[in-house]
Amino acid sequence: MNKRYGIVIDIDRCTGCGACMLACAVENNVPPLPAANDRRGITWMRVSRIDNGEEYPERRSAFVPMMCQQCGVETPCAHVCPQQAVDVDPATGIVGQMPERCLGCRYCMAACPYHARYFNWWDPSWPAGMEKTLNPDVAPRMRGVVEKCNFCHGRWHRAKERAAAAGEKDIRPGDYLPACVEACPAGAIRFGDLNDPASEVSAARKEPGTFRLLEKLGTDTKVYYHSKRDWVRQIAFAPRPGKENVRG
Amino acid sequence: MKRNILIVAGLAAGLGAGWAGFPRAIYNSRPQPVDFSHKIHIDKAGAKCEDCHAIREDGSFAGFPTVEQCGACHAAPMGTSAAEKKFIDAYVTPHKEPVWLAYARQPENVYFSHATHVKRAQLKCEVCHGNEGSADHPRPFEQDRVSGYSRDIWGGQGRPGMKMSDCVDCHRRSAVKNATAVGDLSCLDCHK
Amino acid sequence: MTTRRELLQFAGGSAMGLLLTPAPWRLITDTALWSENWPGIPRPARGEIRAKFTHCGLCAAGCAVRARCVGEQPVSLSGVAGGLCPFGVAGHHLPYHPERLKQGNRKEAAEAVARAIAASGPERRVAVLDLQPGRTASWTYRRALAAIPHGVYIAPPEPACSLNFAAARMVLSLGAPLLDGFAQPARVFAARPNFRLIQAEAMESRTASAADEWLPVAPGTEAVLGRAAAGVLPVRQAAEMTGLPEGRIAGMIRALRENGPALIVAPQMTPEVLAWNIALGAWGKTVMPRREAPVPKTWSKAAPAVALETVKDGSIGALLIDESVGDGHLPWESIRPKLATDAVVVAFAWTRSGYARHATHVLPAAVYPEALGDVPPAVDGVNAEFRLTVPLIASPDGTIDPAEFVAALAGLDAKDALRERAAAIHATGRGKLCTYADGKVAAVKDLKPEDFWKALSTGAAWTGDAEESGRTPRIAATFAGPSSEHWPFRVAIETACAPALASPLIGKLTQESHLRLAANRAALHPREGFLDGTRAAIETPYGRRIFEVTVDVAVPPGVVLVAGGPEIADIVGADGCARVVRI
Repeated sequence: MNKRYGIVIDIDRCTGCGACMLACAVENNVPPLPAANDRRGITWMRVSRIDNGEEYPERRSAFVPMMCQQCGVETPCAHVCPQQAVDVDPATGIVGQMPERCLGCRYCMAACPYHARYFNWWDPSWPAGMEKTLNPDVAPRMRGVVEKCNFCHGRWHRAKERAAAAGEKDIRPGDYLPACVEACPAGAIRFGDLNDPASEVSAARKEPGTFRLLEKLGTDTKVYYHSKRDWVRQIAFAPRPGKENVRG
Repeated sequence: MKRNILIVAGLAAGLGAGWAGFPRAIYNSRPQPVDFSHKIHIDKAGAKCEDCHAIREDGSFAGFPTVEQCGACHAAPMGTSAAEKKFIDAYVTPHKEPVWLAYARQPENVYFSHATHVKRAQLKCEVCHGNEGSADHPRPFEQDRVSGYSRDIWGGQGRPGMKMSDCVDCHRRSAVKNATAVGDLSCLDCHK
Repeated sequence: MTTRRELLQFAGGSAMGLLLTPAPWRLITDTALWSENWPGIPRPARGEIRAKFTHCGLCAAGCAVRARCVGEQPVSLSGVAGGLCPFGVAGHHLPYHPERLKQGNRKEAAEAVARAIAASGPERRVAVLDLQPGRTASWTYRRALAAIPHGVYIAPPEPACSLNFAAARMVLSLGAPLLDGFAQPARVFAARPNFRLIQAEAMESRTASAADEWLPVAPGTEAVLGRAAAGVLPVRQAAEMTGLPEGRIAGMIRALRENGPALIVAPQMTPEVLAWNIALGAWGKTVMPRREAPVPKTWSKAAPAVALETVKDGSIGALLIDESVGDGHLPWESIRPKLATDAVVVAFAWTRSGYARHATHVLPAAVYPEALGDVPPAVDGVNAEFRLTVPLIASPDGTIDPAEFVAALAGLDAKDALRERAAAIHATGRGKLCTYADGKVAAVKDLKPEDFWKALSTGAAWTGDAEESGRTPRIAATFAGPSSEHWPFRVAIETACAPALASPLIGKLTQESHLRLAANRAALHPREGFLDGTRAAIETPYGRRIFEVTVDVAVPPGVVLVAGGPEIADIVGADGCARVVRI
């Protein structure tokens, strides 16, 4: 039976600490240099701040972790890529980005409704000695290619390898967790197989107050968000599109 | 007449340079750091491939044995060859790791799982790596000067190639036991 | 004589010949391959994946850390019992930080201090300022200073009690970043489902946005609610001072009294905050005595800790500042007046951005994943704990252990202080040892001393047995009054646990996404009249610093929000009073 890996994020639990962003960058060999700004930085996982639009003291804010929403059948980026550098894996549902095939036209970045794709404007660079801390399970990318979240595929490889060595048919679910899921101190991000009725994400996505972003586009994403607050759930319709964070 | 001779001479020169001279020029040949004999270890020590080139418990492939593993037997000379003595003096005693040159080294973006192919698909080492066991001396490591790839990637001399097309060919042959069909493979299965 | 035509004929022939060989096609392929394997892109090292365990030394929480290592090199960190804060996640980068200090003249510094000790007297003392008190190294300082003539041990006050979140059902947090770095994130979030959190704070901080209720009080009046909850301030007066409706405050107090056990938390757990908790009946339930792991009996001769404020101005001839671990910092302007003229100031630091800017001698210390030490008792640790920061990699030559340096001044041998303390703990036969590698918990009395030490030094945690809380403390009520009108702003610090220097990846939070404010920025409400991108100076009793302004409607009027770290801690005192001036 094919898997469909998905994530459920509880916005009410997220404190906007940013540990998931750091863990993602560490796991996926995202370089700290050259220093970039919010338009050119590479943040496969990016936490945005939203608010209810009121003034102090009625103003309330919340934090929304955003990464590639892993669109289902109607995957905009896969459709537009001239190089077929985007591959939707039927066995896991993960949308894979192949830097090897990418020629850097950035058409996929324009097509992505969630702004979840990032371009390597420069060659990656690490301060002297810091390249010793690179993760061997993920290949560093060179300049001129697009990259994005792939649910920490290096960890999927490790889990499958362990199962193969142990003679098991399938991986143990607990063996494969993306870095952001593992890092969140508040436990706001949950991961699992949406096709498995026993997984916690299958149960979590059915809870009232769970929604997906821009569902009207028909992207059939695998990332679900949850909140008990009405004004938070409004982001599903992107009522106030614009710069994600207005701080300077 | 002269014109034809010159063109023919040029043709011959070009063909010669391309077929005979180019391979010599494009590859940078280096010897392995130790004159290691697979044959002696297999015949005399009765070693099998996995004794030194093991798959670890977590499924990862250990690659070359560490100098500790060699030192477990070779703390003192076990034979009479000069190569062994040199190895013990230069590497075992000072606990220095020899810089082995990997014939089958793939570029960074390739993910290959030995556990899946050896344990699950039951592939024998010789199928991809050729018969290393019969070699008394290690082949020199030939490296493409421009791309940095090992010559073994293109195969030849009884060994299959290790380019992506060679992997795909094997996965296409449905007669190969346990192979995942090409249609079931996704890019990220083999790339990182 | 070869003509040009003949040459061209030969060349033409060769070109055709070459095209029939692999050469040109192979060169095209090779060029493509070379362009994809750019020499400048580093290749991750390969090796066996191992797990090593330690405790994080970046702040006083001391979270348990599991390091995923390739061979011996850590490549990623994760929490053992839950998540780490963003700084902890990237802590393994710190040894390679470009601004890391690597060189210092130990001999010169030692001689300067020796001269100062020789010239010391009752009016010209030798002091150690320990910014992370409560460690075994702190005991070494105290023992050394007891042996050095006219030695004095200065440290910021430790929390007056420990907090038991697991037992709490109502928590009133007076501006403490409870969900953003106050205690161990893993422990707080594990206990979070059990209590209702009321966050009283001028600004809607991260904790306030995730709390069950946010009480937006006037800046600087958080303590008022604590006094009202304890019953020492009338509700009407509290309402006037905070700007909250009386009914809301009364409701909060009722909830604390009826839906307990209650707990009041403040950014500094001072004796006054403890007194409020005691008034709510929290002693022995949600507030407990702060417990320390046992120490060897031979350590009884140790100088007591003294608060900086009590030191006479101009009375310190030599000051050694240990800022090598943790995130503690006191404003330099509160330290400078205590120094005598020509005082020797030695700073043990791993970055130039702290006291190194003011010291006469700077000595590089090992940084978090390299340094062997222990973490102080956690504010949310109910029982005594002994947890080591275990070196995951070797520190470079030239780094100095501050505790050993100070011990040498007193002729004390403190190289094995941690092991001695472990032996003393083992000798009591009490408590349990939890090894993270296998998750097993063993009673100390079942372990041999060598095994106990070996486990601790490879990342295990000793926890003491639960003890009776004892008699409720009586606390004298002499506390500071309202602050002066001179300072119209309160400084709010966005990132509480910001170490002196963080991994360059933190730029992802500050520059590439604006999730957190950058260190050179100050955020103000538009009504304050500053323009975005212009410069402003924050002036406090301790100094002045210039920032770039970010206009943000989320920051209430009367509050200026800054990032965090030693540069801001240098000018912000406990009350956070400030003035903001256009530049």
